[in-house]
Amino acid sequence: MKVLAAGVMPLLLVLHWKHGAGSPLPITPDDPKCEMRHQCQGNLTFQIRNQLNQLNNSAPELFTYYYKAQGDPFQTNLDKLCNPNVTDFPPFHANGTDKEKLVELYRIIAYLNASLGNITRDQRALNPGALPLLSQLNITTAVMRGLLNNLTCRLCKKYHVAHVSVSYGPDTSTKDTFQKKKLGCHLLGKYKQVISLVAQAF
Amino acid sequence: MLALWTWIVQALFIFLIVDSVGGGLLKPCGHIVPESPVVAPNTTFTAICVLDEECLSEHHLNANQILWKIKDTYVPKEQYTILNKTAASVTLEDVSSLGSPLTCNILLYGQLEQNIYGIQIRVGWAPEKPKNLSCIVNGQSNMKCQWDPGKETHLDTTYVLKSEWPTRQLTDCIPPPNVNNSCTVDMVVVYVNMDVWVVATNVLGNVSSDRINFDPIDIVQLLPPYNVTVSSSKAISSILKVSWTNPVDKPFEGLKYNIRYRTKDASDWTLIPPEDTASTRDSFTVQYLKPFTEYVFSIRCMNREGRGFWSNWSAESSGVTYEAKPSNAPSFWYSIDPSQGHGYRLLHLKWKTLPRSEANGRILHYEVILRGGKTSNFSKSINDTKLILNITNDPYVVSLKAHNIVGSSDPSTLTIPGRDFKAAHPITNLKAFPKDNELWVQWTPPNEPVNKYILEWCVFSDNLPCTPDWQQEGSATKLTYLRGNLMESKCYLITVIPVYDDGPGSPRSVKAYLKQAPPSRGPFVRTKKVGKNEAVLVWEHLPVDDQNGFIRNYTIFYRTSSGNETAVHVNSSHTEYTLSPLTSDTLYMVRMAAYTDEGGKDGPEFTFTTPKFAQGEIEAIVVPVCLAFLLTTLLGVLLCFNKLDLIKKHIWPNVPDPSKSHIAQWSPHTPTRHNLHPKDQMYPEGNFTDTDVSVVEIEANEKKPLPEDLKSLDLFKKEKITTEGHSSGIGGSSCMSSSRPSISSNDESESGQNTSSTVQYSTVVHSGYRHQLPSVQVFSRSESTQPLLDSEERPEDLQIVENGGSGDGASPRQQYFKQNCNQDEISPDLSHFERSKQVSSANEEDFVRLKQQQMSDQRSQSSGSGPMKDFEDVSAADNFGSSTEGQIQRFETIGLEAATEEGMPKSYLPQTVRQGGYVPQ
Repeated sequence: MKVLAAGVMPLLLVLHWKHGAGSPLPITPDDPKCEMRHQCQGNLTFQIRNQLNQLNNSAPELFTYYYKAQGDPFQTNLDKLCNPNVTDFPPFHANGTDKEKLVELYRIIAYLNASLGNITRDQRALNPGALPLLSQLNITTAVMRGLLNNLTCRLCKKYHVAHVSVSYGPDTSTKDTFQKKKLGCHLLGKYKQVISLVAQAF
Repeated sequence: MLALWTWIVQALFIFLIVDSVGGGLLKPCGHIVPESPVVAPNTTFTAICVLDEECLSEHHLNANQILWKIKDTYVPKEQYTILNKTAASVTLEDVSSLGSPLTCNILLYGQLEQNIYGIQIRVGWAPEKPKNLSCIVNGQSNMKCQWDPGKETHLDTTYVLKSEWPTRQLTDCIPPPNVNNSCTVDMVVVYVNMDVWVVATNVLGNVSSDRINFDPIDIVQLLPPYNVTVSSSKAISSILKVSWTNPVDKPFEGLKYNIRYRTKDASDWTLIPPEDTASTRDSFTVQYLKPFTEYVFSIRCMNREGRGFWSNWSAESSGVTYEAKPSNAPSFWYSIDPSQGHGYRLLHLKWKTLPRSEANGRILHYEVILRGGKTSNFSKSINDTKLILNITNDPYVVSLKAHNIVGSSDPSTLTIPGRDFKAAHPITNLKAFPKDNELWVQWTPPNEPVNKYILEWCVFSDNLPCTPDWQQEGSATKLTYLRGNLMESKCYLITVIPVYDDGPGSPRSVKAYLKQAPPSRGPFVRTKKVGKNEAVLVWEHLPVDDQNGFIRNYTIFYRTSSGNETAVHVNSSHTEYTLSPLTSDTLYMVRMAAYTDEGGKDGPEFTFTTPKFAQGEIEAIVVPVCLAFLLTTLLGVLLCFNKLDLIKKHIWPNVPDPSKSHIAQWSPHTPTRHNLHPKDQMYPEGNFTDTDVSVVEIEANEKKPLPEDLKSLDLFKKEKITTEGHSSGIGGSSCMSSSRPSISSNDESESGQNTSSTVQYSTVVHSGYRHQLPSVQVFSRSESTQPLLDSEERPEDLQIVENGGSGDGASPRQQYFKQNCNQDEISPDLSHFERSKQVSSANEEDFVRLKQQQMSDQRSQSSGSGPMKDFEDVSAADNFGSSTEGQIQRFETIGLEAATEEGMPKSYLPQTVRQGGYVPQ
């Protein structure tokens, strides 16, 4: 739980989470929580698009680093152990409105950010020598934080959305090593798959 | 158990002692507030000294007794404020100028100063607001921010780089120790706008810089591309393909590039047009390159949209284009050695290796083809760059080709003219000059069409032979530089030869220096001729090896040992110079400097001395003087010859021939005056009377001539006698006559008597001389006993010498006598007596005396002062000098008259007179 909190705490907009819940909560545009530390600047759409491209470009590499770092049987049974089979992954509708896509993206990134936090924690313990993997995990996590920042700004600035309900993956701290690796590999496989779709949608 | 209690009691006692002593001794009687102040300069600072209540009561203290000191200086009491009984404050205007520590003191019992407390005051500034904050992202994630921290605070000041997104604060960046103007953030996320600012903090406060907001993607400087490689193509020798790897984890979607290249030896880069490299790629093919040339490439990249900054240039990578056939023919030249006999010449062919840019590859060999003469075409492949052929005197044509792996160059052709060929059509206006560290040659082409020019040059030296280097220039060349390893300070002889279809033209040469320098040494100057007021200096031109440049002029420096140096500039063509005006009889130091355009060099110093007299000057003085002397001598001799008789009369007076003499008749009755005209003239007063004179006539004895040796002896004696001042007889000295004792000098005893009583006077009258027959020749003797008057004592009246030692005939010595007489006159009478004795007694001393006398006379004549003075004294005393002189004149008159009357020089023969009369000689 402590680890989970550590992964969730960076999120600015954390609402109550219910496993399987996908619909956003009502948006209160004039919510005083839209007040930022300073005013949002820059071309947010451009920045979000490029951040998605960054993630999309690095996702395969991250996935490769990961399963290579886990060793056998992951390298030999990639399809079974690392298939993108994550049941509670937030949905994304590429044909939705811009606002809906931003909200769904926010949920996905929040989900991934929390999961990457768990994976990073587990891999530091399981594969402390896998420096490329750990480095790439840190970079990806940092990029996702930036993306969440931009999404928050975009939702608040343009759509005055101050609250978005998000969901998180399972806590792996109590899992065994194989399960940790397996859940991580599933997630990164899913991430590689989803981020490609999302990047194309923006 | 007892022991344990004892130990506890002892320990407790010691603890109490230590606690009481330590606490009591170290506990201060007060303290200062604030405890550790930090004060900014130029600010007012107030400190309060608070006294302890226990001390106040124990020592009866009061805040009035507080004294404030800064170091050892008391703070004026005007700055004190007594707050209450236990506290007093002090207010300092500017602590920074006063220093530290500040102490609170108190006077115990009114006179004993006790320190209560002290504080150290730190002086510093609050941090200034950081300015000029800027950041740059290196690569993808490293962001370095810099700022200006402002002036030194002199306090511990921390600088923190803060950053935040709109939704969260990011981790602070703290600079490493001793860094206050920059900080590097390890990971930065791009495409997110962030605020960045700096906060500076110290004990005096904190201050933040202005915030800057940016998306780090806009300040990214990418890492340069790496793994740059260059490859060539065999098919196309003018292209190279450059490949590279883009930076890892590039944050951008697209990149653009700058590709630059240069040849290996060049320094300037050529940039491939940016529009050709504006998209992401990892290779590029560069075209239009030179064959077989090594090129160096370098690449940089940046965001394709222009965000951020260009990366640094990548590491350089080089590649060589493939070979092509040589693009130019080699430079080709020859020389002829005509020494071969029998109609043959030795042809030395030489050529230059093609530069890399023209060889277009590795030259494998050269092909020489010789045509002409009596032989068929001669072809030879050679790897060297020279070839010696023995050819006939016929004209030839030689061609040369360079071959590489691809092909051969165009041929370079030379016409070797026949032996009788006369070169013509030279170039004109040949000039050579240094410029930009090169030696340039310029000329005016001839009117005829030229195929090419050959430039030959060598070091022009006195010691080394001319070993020419050469280069070829195109027909359009008018100005070029020598492409050789030229040395500075060396004279180069440069020859330009135009080459025509039928052979080489007339060469033209010029000398030049790449860079001149001062001469290695100065000229050796020496004198060619030294005169009284001038000196002709000569020197030799410096050898070429010592010149180091064109000698522009010489400067001659000359000076005397004590005078200022004078410089004279002389044209470089001269080797001689005349220094003038100089001072005679003076030592001169002269040196000479030769100057090129770059400076001069002094030669060794040369010294010479001008003579005291100019050449011929001594001769000009001596010769006239000698001539004058000679002339004078000749004139004197001529005069002497003309006046021989007169001189002879003076030097060798005619002596009457004794053989013709006779004793005159003594006739007391004969009047004596009648035959003595001169005496009459001399004594016109005529004090004598006939009655007073007795005349004795003496006949000369002709039968007793005086033998010759006796004559000489007699003459010698007379001369000595004369020297002694005794004289008598014919022509008798007036001196003798004036010396009264001399009259009777031959008889001293009688002289004393005669002087005191009576004196017999007599007059000698010639009875005849040389057929002159005087009417009466008598000695007249005065019978009178009357004392002589002064006028009667004249020599003419005292010609009787009683003593034979007192000879007469002293007329040739008149002058001498005169002088001698003067001396005698100076001397008292006694000296005359002594002299008389000496003459009569010691003739041997006469020579000595004579000499002494002569020396005395010479001194008299030369100096004249002494004797003349004496003479004047005497004459002043008895008025005698004037009469003496008159007597000399009268002697001369007598002589002349006698000669006139008798027609022959009158001479006197020295005679010896004995007592009682003349004795025939």
